[in-house]
Order: sequence, then structure tokens, then C-alpha cells
Amino acid sequence: MKERGTGPLAAGVDIGAATAKAVIIDGAGRVLSWAVIPTGHDVVRAGKAVYERALDGAFQSPMYVVSTGYGRRAVSFADRAVTEIICHAAGAHAAIPGTRTVIDIGGQDSKVIALDETGAVSNFVMNDKCAAGTGRFLEVMAGVLELDLSELGPVSLAGPNPCSISSTCAIFAETEVVSLRADGRSREDILAGLHKAMAHRVAIMGRAVGFREPVLFTGGVARNEGIKKALEKEIGLTIEAPEHPQIIGALGAAIIARAEMERSKSK
Amino acid sequence: MAAFYDGLLILCGFEPREIDAERPRIERAFEKLELGPEDMVEAEAWVREKHDVELAGLRKLLGAWLKELIDLVLAGEEGKRIVYYGFPAMVRPGYLIASSGENLYCACPDTILCHTMGQIFNRLDSILEAGEVGGLPPGHALCSLWQIKVGALAKGFIPPPDLAIASSYFCDMGSKADDLLAERYGTPIYYIDGTMDSAWGEYPDYEPERVEFLGAQLNGLFDMVSETIGVRIDPEAWEKANRFVLEYYTRLAEITGLMQNDPVPLSSTVIELATILPPACTGRGIPEATRALDLLIREARERVGQGRGVVEKGSPRVMLFIGNFSDPRISRMIEESGLAVPVSFFTAPAPWPKPTVRYESMGERMADSEMRQGLYHSTYGLVKRTEMAVQSTPVDGVISNYLFNCRPVALLSHIAKSWVEDRTGLPTLSLENDVYDTRSYNAQAMRTRVETFAEMLKAKKRAGTA
Repeated sequence: MKERGTGPLAAGVDIGAATAKAVIIDGAGRVLSWAVIPTGHDVVRAGKAVYERALDGAFQSPMYVVSTGYGRRAVSFADRAVTEIICHAAGAHAAIPGTRTVIDIGGQDSKVIALDETGAVSNFVMNDKCAAGTGRFLEVMAGVLELDLSELGPVSLAGPNPCSISSTCAIFAETEVVSLRADGRSREDILAGLHKAMAHRVAIMGRAVGFREPVLFTGGVARNEGIKKALEKEIGLTIEAPEHPQIIGALGAAIIARAEMERSKSK
Repeated sequence: MAAFYDGLLILCGFEPREIDAERPRIERAFEKLELGPEDMVEAEAWVREKHDVELAGLRKLLGAWLKELIDLVLAGEEGKRIVYYGFPAMVRPGYLIASSGENLYCACPDTILCHTMGQIFNRLDSILEAGEVGGLPPGHALCSLWQIKVGALAKGFIPPPDLAIASSYFCDMGSKADDLLAERYGTPIYYIDGTMDSAWGEYPDYEPERVEFLGAQLNGLFDMVSETIGVRIDPEAWEKANRFVLEYYTRLAEITGLMQNDPVPLSSTVIELATILPPACTGRGIPEATRALDLLIREARERVGQGRGVVEKGSPRVMLFIGNFSDPRISRMIEESGLAVPVSFFTAPAPWPKPTVRYESMGERMADSEMRQGLYHSTYGLVKRTEMAVQSTPVDGVISNYLFNCRPVALLSHIAKSWVEDRTGLPTLSLENDVYDTRSYNAQAMRTRVETFAEMLKAKKRAGTA
């Protein structure tokens, strides 16, 4: 059933490297609908498709649309394009008010974002040079270990003795994993080791901005409980993950869209 | 009769009579550089889009670089004795050598190629690839500036030198790249070694032995120049060099002063072109660029008077540590994001420590000056100078280049962000890129960082906390 919502609607469309996300909120900031689809090779089409899918769950069309993510400039129907770092911060602040740190691990990059008490970005650091520390790294490893992505977290948590993974390159780590399998190491221990290595990289990167609680974990990789636990161990803080971590960027974009509507109304 | 290159050269500040007078040389240089009619069409569009060609001074500045390129490419077949020196370069040694002899060409060839084959023609990739094949392979964290020199030599774009001066006082990689010149072309090398290691926290002080050592190295250079290419340093050359430094840098300082206006009147790409030219070349580009600066001063004053600038009045202001040598898009991207760039590390009016000892030899006087400036002092000297530069300029933030494959500044790149933030309280963006090689970064990811930083600073400014 389509939700009517309160007041004019606003939408956020997040075109990431792996998935496209859209969120529609009402005037009170309540999420009315959302959608996630693979981005594929055509970012223009992905933007339209994910937006239309989210619209299916809304009673009326949004008055203002903000796009974000790598493909933000390809969303021709958006009123404004805002970087995903700003949007993740806004989304995190809405999901858990008072959030001071966001760890976002997406398909092809990872970021650590520091927020001030109002939810504005006060500092950030981003890795897009190296696949280790991204969702793509885990995808490659899942393939090598013949596991579904959703199995990585539970399997890794069953590994009592994490292997030491010395390589920080996704390609060479793959070779290392094959060698470890040949040495008879269990998939559980190998995965636990991979998660530990990945968490270590993200933690080192994040030290440049510092970690402060509450820490929110966003992006598709946040659904992996194993990496979340490994990150908690690395940074020594509790990490919270929202119910739908993939849509936090799109949610933030929608919140910014709503703020833009209010700003233009008050002029 | 106009040729296929006239349009680009006119756009880059050449006078028609200059083109006519030099047509055979221009054609020969472009032939050697494999630049044809299509390249000129693309370059013209690129220059119009990426540079502020409304400014006659900017166009003349591009022309000054192009004239140096033509002279560089033809130096060998025109029978000149050729001296290459490494970058970053002390300004005076090259100029002392160049102004002491006739029929001499003395420059940093790689830096000229960045500013012309990169910034004007957008044709650096094939040179870089030739450098990778020619001895500095990819994936080994080797400097792309040296790949450009080695690649341009391998392609026959530039002639082998009669003497190469390695900037070992700053960079260990440059001397290794110059070793390739010795191996391939039999080029004699003079290594200007320094002692860049010093106690952490020492700057702005330094041990006199460091001046004596570097000074002796520089004095030795002049002996070798005499031995290898038969040029004795003219006793008047020191005064000439000082006169040039004063003339050029007085003008540059005036422009830097005008850049403090709000809105900032000129793009930081213009300042980059003007700042790097004197250490990169010693020929006719220098007087050409001096005249270009006169025009730029006039044009900047006009813009200030009209309240015109490259970004809106009241925009957040940032210090960009160093502009991109090969690609104007990065600096333009920063300005398109709504950030004004009034100053760089090299143009910040930070006070230099005064000399405490009067040295007699030319080498020691130069060495003492370089020690005081901090660039060749140590990593601590670099980071301390960065802090001093930031503190001397009213800015809202800092963009620090993270030059991941530059060994001399590897530690500076790593610590600059937290150092500046801790000591100045200014938000600092660490922008990972390679200022010579446009293949090494993802423009979209860079835009994400820059736009986020711009949004951060705008929000702080709106909130009155910047």
C-alpha cells in the first residue's frame, strides 16, 4: 500500500559503483519507500530505474530530488548534486542522532567521516586507490572461497584462529588465500584473517580523523557482522549498524532535499 | 601565410611577426614533438576551456613556456651546449651558468614538458609511457617527473645534454634517473649532494657544516661546468642573477598581494605557471614571462577595481600547497567548487629567518639561502615552513597535496594534515594525487573530496566558525 506521508515529499538518489539506491521521505522526514538495484554499466538508466522503483511506494512525486554517489552528475532529474560524504553524514545523523563517526565501506571505496554535534561533516578521509578495504575485495574473496556474500560474516565469526594475511593487495591476497587453503587452513580462519586485515586498513586510514562514539557503520559491507566485529576490535569502540546500511547515503540526500525545500519556502 | 599552428600560438600570446620570424624553427620543433594539425585544434580547445584566456598576461605566460619548449627541442641540432638540471631547482645555479656563456641551453626539461605538453597540448601520456619503457617502469613508485625526462629523450623529443646536474640535495630518485642518462647517452653527471637529514625540530636553525657542505658542492658544480662545457662562471653573473631574481619576484609578489583581495582576481593556475617558470628555465622565457607579469598585474588590478574574481566574493579561501604541473583541471576543479585559492606554499609571505653568517663563496651564499627557506633543510623544515606559510595568510582551510610517489616529501605528505590542523586549527584536506602524471588519479573521486571539503568550509563560514 502506498503511504501518503505528511507534507511535500523529497527524494535522494545515490548512484554508487556497485548499487543504486533511492529513498523517498515525507515532510516530517519519515521514510516512505526505498529501493536498491545493481548500478550496472549504465548509470543514467540505473538512476531513473531506482527512482521509479522507489516512487512505486509513494503516493505522490517528490518536489525536490538530491543525487549523490559517483554517478550523481548523471541524474538529470535531480535538482542538486551533493557528495556522498555529506549525504552519509546527514543520513547517519538522521538514523542515529548524535552520531560522531561514520565508517562507510562501499563497493569500490571506503571512508571515515567525523561529524560535529549538529551532524555536519567536520573531517573525512577516503580510500579509492586500493581495493583492499572495499566491498569489491570481499566479493573477490567470497568467490575464491566459494561462499555467498551473505555467508562471509557468520563463517568468519566461527574462525577461532584468524590467519595472518600479509598482502594488502586484493589480487595478491587472493593468491595468499589459495596458498592458505592448500596448507589446510579452514575457510573460517581465512575469512576471519581477511576481515582482520581489512579492518586494520580502515582503522589506520580513519586515525587521520579519529574515531568517536557513537560510531555508525554504513554501506553494503556493514551487513557483514564479521567485519563489524573486526572493526570494533581494531578501534576499541562499539559500532552500530543501521537496519538498512546501504541506503544511508540516499537517506541523507533526501534529508538535504527536504532542507532545500524548506529553505526555498522560507525565502 | 598562416599555418596550422598560428591559431594556437596567437592564443598563447605570440605576435604574428614573432611567428613569421620563427616559422622554420616552430615547424621543426612541432615535427620533432609529433604535433600535427589535429593536435593544434585540440590544444586550442583545451587551452580555451582550461585556462583563463581572457587574460593577455596569462596568454603571454603560456607563450613564454612554449618558447622555452621550442628552444629545448631544437637545442641539440642548433649546436648549443646543453645543461639539464633537476627539479625542484635552486633558482640561481642554472641562471649563473646560463648567463656566463654564449650558445648555451640550460633548463629543467621535464618541467618545461609538463607545462607545455601537459598544460597546453594534453599530450604527456605517450612521453610517460616511453619513460616507463625506457628504464623507470610503472608500479615501482618511481617519480613521474623523471619518467617524463627519460621518455622525452627516448622518443627523441629532446636532445641528450652535455651535462646533467642531479638535484640530490633534495631527491635521491633524480640522481638515479640521471644515472640512466649516463648509461644511455654517456652524459656526464654532477651530483649536488646535500645533507637533508637533521635533528627533528632544528629548523629554522641549522648547523654551519650543512652550509659549508652544500656550498662546496655548488662551488664544485661551477668547476665541472668549466671542465665539461668550457663555461667559466662570469664574475658579473652573480649580480645578473640577483637582478633577475629581484625583477621577477618583485612582480610576482605584487600579484600575490593582489590575490589577497576578495574576490581573488586570478586563478591559481595562472600563479602556478608564473611561480614554476623561473626555477625551470633560464632562457628567453624569463624576460617574456617578466613582461607577462606586468600585464597580469594590470589585469588583476582592473579586476580588483571592478570587483571581479574567479569565485564569488565571500567564498572560503584555501591555501593549495602546490598546483598541478601538468593538468590545470585540478586547480580549476577547486575553484569550480567555490573555493578561492589566494596563496600557495611558494607564494605565502612567510618571513624567512635572516642570515646570521656572511658567507663569501657563491656556493655557500646560495646554500645558506636555501637552508633558511626550509625547502631543502629537512622534513621538519618542510612541515614547519608549511605551518609558517599557513599562519602568515588569512585562509579558511588548507589543501595539502599527498604526493604518494614523491620520496622526499613522503613523510610531509603523511603528517601535513594533522600537523597543520593541530597547530593552526584550520581544516585541511589531504589530496592524494601526482602533480606530473594525469593518469594517476580518478577525477570523480578527486571531485568528491574537493566538493565535500568546499561544503565543509562553506558550512563553517555560514555558521561563523571558519
